[in-house]
Amino acid sequence: MPVWQSIYEELKSDNFEIISVAEDTGGEAAAGPIFDAANVTYTSIIDVNHHISALYNLVNVPSGIWIDEEGKIVRINEGTYAKSHGAFGTDDYAPIVRDWAANGADSPYVWDLNRVREGIFQRTEEAERAQPAFRLGTYYFTRDNEEKAEKYFNLAQELDPDSWNYLRQDIHYEEGGSAGPQWRARRAAEENRGETYYAPLDIEPQPPSGN
Amino acid sequence: MKIIKTLCLLLTTLLVSGLAVAQGATVLYNERVVEIEQTLADATDLWVSPEDLTRINDFVLKPEGACLDELCIPVLQDRDSDMFVRRQDQSWFNVTGLADKLQQAHVTDHEDGVWSFGGMPIERRAFFQGGEAPDFALPDRDGNIISLANFRGKKVLLLTWASW
Repeated sequence: MPVWQSIYEELKSDNFEIISVAEDTGGEAAAGPIFDAANVTYTSIIDVNHHISALYNLVNVPSGIWIDEEGKIVRINEGTYAKSHGAFGTDDYAPIVRDWAANGADSPYVWDLNRVREGIFQRTEEAERAQPAFRLGTYYFTRDNEEKAEKYFNLAQELDPDSWNYLRQDIHYEEGGSAGPQWRARRAAEENRGETYYAPLDIEPQPPSGN
Repeated sequence: MKIIKTLCLLLTTLLVSGLAVAQGATVLYNERVVEIEQTLADATDLWVSPEDLTRINDFVLKPEGACLDELCIPVLQDRDSDMFVRRQDQSWFNVTGLADKLQQAHVTDHEDGVWSFGGMPIERRAFFQGGEAPDFALPDRDGNIISLANFRGKKVLLLTWASW
């Protein structure tokens, strides 16, 4: 997050804004101190109901989306850290953000509509019910009804087994935490099937389309 | 005898009105939490007054149907149907029936009367087909409502993360 802040300070003059959304049912108490510690000056939202992930069909954090000056998506659903740290992230992402901020639609990292449509994660009909189920969970969670909150958090996970967010938000409050044995086991299973934990980054420049 | 008759009539009236009008409900839709004072009793569906329908999802009941901007779902209103009924001069509209017609997902806690609705596929087409960024209205940490519409003319890097 401090790295995003320094990137923001560098780029904000180029008609460029960062909107950072914490998918945190724990609210200000959970996410606020992290925003504060980074002295964040970009737009900061704490999204208790995971509304943004539901709206953009995201299943994991961190995820990044590029939205152009007319409100069109030009990249979506990528696991994005500001830089590499440990096993996660890459130093190759920040430079393509800089390229886009400078060159806009002429940046070779801007996707065309077909690529954007391909990039949108497709939820099953059953998974569409996970959002209203999770919303019931947060309704009860914020009213301290743990039993009902757990019931609907579990239902959301059953309905949308692709969502890491619904799983990890919930097990964060259980023994072992959000990166405990339950998370490791599922991640290993997924990776053994040849899938990636984070939505893959595609940092190859697109050839000029010519039309 | 007359007293018994009157009592019976009173009891019947109470029973009928008791059956017709149930207690309130809570409806969750997007970031809204809408408290409904009165609903029509039904084991599976959520029936609310036309005014409450608008409070829930902005649909307005018009002669041509239930309408949201240009979209109108036809609703018969001269007789009872699966979408609309009239009881003692009060109209009731079936919100879950509308949701099913719109293929809008919903989940209910019947015990507490809390009804939770997902997004409407009809409002999602521009996203899936046209790559348009779905807008939202969420408060930032200072309580200002943040909407993508406020950032037209700017590039926006939208990032999600979590503390957990």
